[in-house]
Amino acid sequence: MAAVTDQMAPGAHVARKTPKGTFDIVFRNASFLSALFVLLLLAGIMVSMVIGGWPAFREMGLGFLTSSVWDTQNDQYGAWPAIAGTLSTALIALVIGVPLSLGIAVFLTQLAPPWFKQPVSTAIELLAAVPSIIYGMWGLFVFVPLFAAYVQVPLSNIVEGMPILGTILYSRSPSGLGILTAGFILAFMIIPFIASITRDMLDQIPSVLRESAYGIGATTWEVVRHVLVPQAGVSIIGAIMLGLGRALGETMAVTFVVGNANRLSGSIMDPGSTIASRIANEFNEALGLQLNALIALGCILFFVTFVVLVIARILVARVKSY
Amino acid sequence: MTLATPSTVRALPPATWGRVRQSRRTADRAMKIIATTFTLLAISVLFWILGMLIVKGIGGLSVATFTQITPGPGSEGGGLANAIVGSLVLTFLGIAVATPIGVLAGTYLAEYGKGSKLADLIRFINDILLSAPSILIGLFVYVIMVQPLGGYSGWAGGVALGIIAIPVIVRTTEDMLRLVPGPLREAGSALGAPPSVVITSITWRAAKSGMVTGILLALARIAGETAPLIFTALNNNFWFSPSLFGGVSNLPVTIYQFASAPYENWQQLAWAGSLIITVSILVLSIIARRIVRGGK
Amino acid sequence: MLSTLELSPQTLDADAPVRIAVKNLDFYYGEHKALKNINLDFRDRHVTALIGPSGCGKSTLLRIFNRIYSLYPEQRATGEILLDGRNIISNNVDVNELRSRIGMVFQKPTPFPMSIYDNVAFGIRLYEKPPKSELDDRVEGALRRAALWDEVKDKLKSSGMGLSGGQQQRLCIARTIAQKPEVILFDEPTSALDPISTGKIEDLLEQLKTDFTIVIVTHNMQQAARISQYTAFMYLGEVIEFDATNTIFMNPHKKQTQDYVTGRFG
Repeated sequence: MAAVTDQMAPGAHVARKTPKGTFDIVFRNASFLSALFVLLLLAGIMVSMVIGGWPAFREMGLGFLTSSVWDTQNDQYGAWPAIAGTLSTALIALVIGVPLSLGIAVFLTQLAPPWFKQPVSTAIELLAAVPSIIYGMWGLFVFVPLFAAYVQVPLSNIVEGMPILGTILYSRSPSGLGILTAGFILAFMIIPFIASITRDMLDQIPSVLRESAYGIGATTWEVVRHVLVPQAGVSIIGAIMLGLGRALGETMAVTFVVGNANRLSGSIMDPGSTIASRIANEFNEALGLQLNALIALGCILFFVTFVVLVIARILVARVKSY
Repeated sequence: MTLATPSTVRALPPATWGRVRQSRRTADRAMKIIATTFTLLAISVLFWILGMLIVKGIGGLSVATFTQITPGPGSEGGGLANAIVGSLVLTFLGIAVATPIGVLAGTYLAEYGKGSKLADLIRFINDILLSAPSILIGLFVYVIMVQPLGGYSGWAGGVALGIIAIPVIVRTTEDMLRLVPGPLREAGSALGAPPSVVITSITWRAAKSGMVTGILLALARIAGETAPLIFTALNNNFWFSPSLFGGVSNLPVTIYQFASAPYENWQQLAWAGSLIITVSILVLSIIARRIVRGGK
Repeated sequence: MLSTLELSPQTLDADAPVRIAVKNLDFYYGEHKALKNINLDFRDRHVTALIGPSGCGKSTLLRIFNRIYSLYPEQRATGEILLDGRNIISNNVDVNELRSRIGMVFQKPTPFPMSIYDNVAFGIRLYEKPPKSELDDRVEGALRRAALWDEVKDKLKSSGMGLSGGQQQRLCIARTIAQKPEVILFDEPTSALDPISTGKIEDLLEQLKTDFTIVIVTHNMQQAARISQYTAFMYLGEVIEFDATNTIFMNPHKKQTQDYVTGRFG
């Protein structure tokens, strides 16, 4: 002990053991552990999905991904209709949402007079604060009847019998519910994310670049199209991927309007289901292998959104310095 | 100074103007009209939703809405008292879980983890969790809490909401701490204060309003969450047990179950609940935004 | 200070026509009046330098000539600026076309996010649709005049962002002259560059004035003395003195001018 004390003596005045010193160590470690907890959460989600879904993967094998059967009586489960529904609703959401978002970002950064910019920005961001279930209510009780009466019925009459279009756009029962409706509602839910990130990216571009593009005699459209958008470049794609991540996992709004059909239809006007809507619908009544199959669906959703979000974050982070 | 009198010099022949092609002007004008229309469209959807909630929800609001519990199937009247209280309990439980972890983790990233690879990874993963589908968080908590504990509980619901809130708080805490100027920290350290004291009594204090904003934003984020509660707190039509075991009634799941039910009083309550929850969340978000803008 | 100034050879043509005439020009940032009653003439194919301490309004004045200020709704100008007799600050002037006639090179190099070739061709394509071979010739010609051709001729398809700062600035000059403007505005074009790049750009300016009317803002008095034929000294939003560069630097009439060019200015 004496030797130890001797060795410590020269530094003792630095390492004074005050209550503050203990607090310092505790605080530092608590911060560190809290930060590690974030990693642990992601790992925990991944592991719990894999373990919870494992019985279904084991039972169905690869067929779980490709099979279209969802038969609770005979315990046969296939994820394909839900996967297809998830991808198609998200794709429709992007097709509608991306042009709208880019238009909004251009309006906010290039066209809006200064006094108008702030309130409009806030309104767009508030679209993201509206809860998912409220979008579901709006979709089901307001949008769906209008969509059935003014789009589905007339469109079905027009495309009936046409090749390809007669399949994709024809609605067997024009209820207003379906894949296209879900994609449409999703579009408005992802707009605030894509639009505000794109707005921030465009705002970050140094004004001297914008001025020199105008300075060569380009119109606003030409400045945006040839200089600002390429300059913001991949970060806009990142913003779109972030929106895609949202659209893939969105649950309540989709559950309200997608129609929750278990079979796969060739028409985007027909009811379908997504991974998230299927889980939300069946979870509380599910038992045994069905429960595992639903968690296995969650597992698929996890890995798909994880990949999309990783790409999105990498692209958004790589804002080119000028 | 003779140069100032241009009358003594020749003038150049006036140039002919009109080199801008009509197609360019048309494209420019079309883009401006389209961008403006898109913006108006998105804003009108917001107001459309708000208008819908007011028109359909205001009729369902009465004293009974706040004093009576949710009605059973087929029974008359009823209110949302248990659902409102349950939502408040779950939301604050979530915030209580998330705030210490989120603030400490954000502090680690901003103060201790500068330049560390691990901190970069944690920041990246946190950003991913920030946009991860909330339904997966619900499933996760189902697997780790509901299944082992043998049933739905308010605790599981609170934890699920807390997990959703954590990344929001981590992110805003870190961002706000980074705005605190370095010399302030150095001044604290120069007085001999250890890092923990500098952080808790100087940096946190300087970033206080921003950190509160983060917590408010997290509150707004989880207050309307429905999907994760379906797997955790579920719902019921009675006053929930104070132990929070068993289903705990809450607004979002009540709205979900009542909205498309065949009973008219249920539908009416679903609309009233939607109005209450949306207005609360929008007000929270606007307050949070005000604080951020006032703080800068 | 005066002894170190190397004055430009007097190639000034006192009879040259006026390209731009500024008459009774006032300029406002919101409520703040930044320029007061400016009257100046810019001679065809001469270099005119605007000098003065920072904040004197020289850059502000330059940014009026191509109406870049119109991008900002709170800024406005009153009075007249006549380009070949036409008032360019009136509302019925097409600002896009104006900017193709009055080119501008900025303080920081601003290559567009596209290839070197496309950077130069960009401005031409906006206003003309020349056949490919002619476009190639125009691009090459502009790059040669900007003394950049030899350095980039093998990598025309690579990004303009990959060039060095000095090369980027010459690319921006090439991009501007490719459009064949009547006037080129330079806003402290060398302040972000090293001395060697600065020298190249100054040589370039000397050659460009055979074809273009040049207005340059510079905080560097030696630079103004070396490259310009006329100089305007500005202070607090006003033109204090405007005359031949030699006169301004060797024999100024106003005491403020003398103090500034001899470095005695606060």
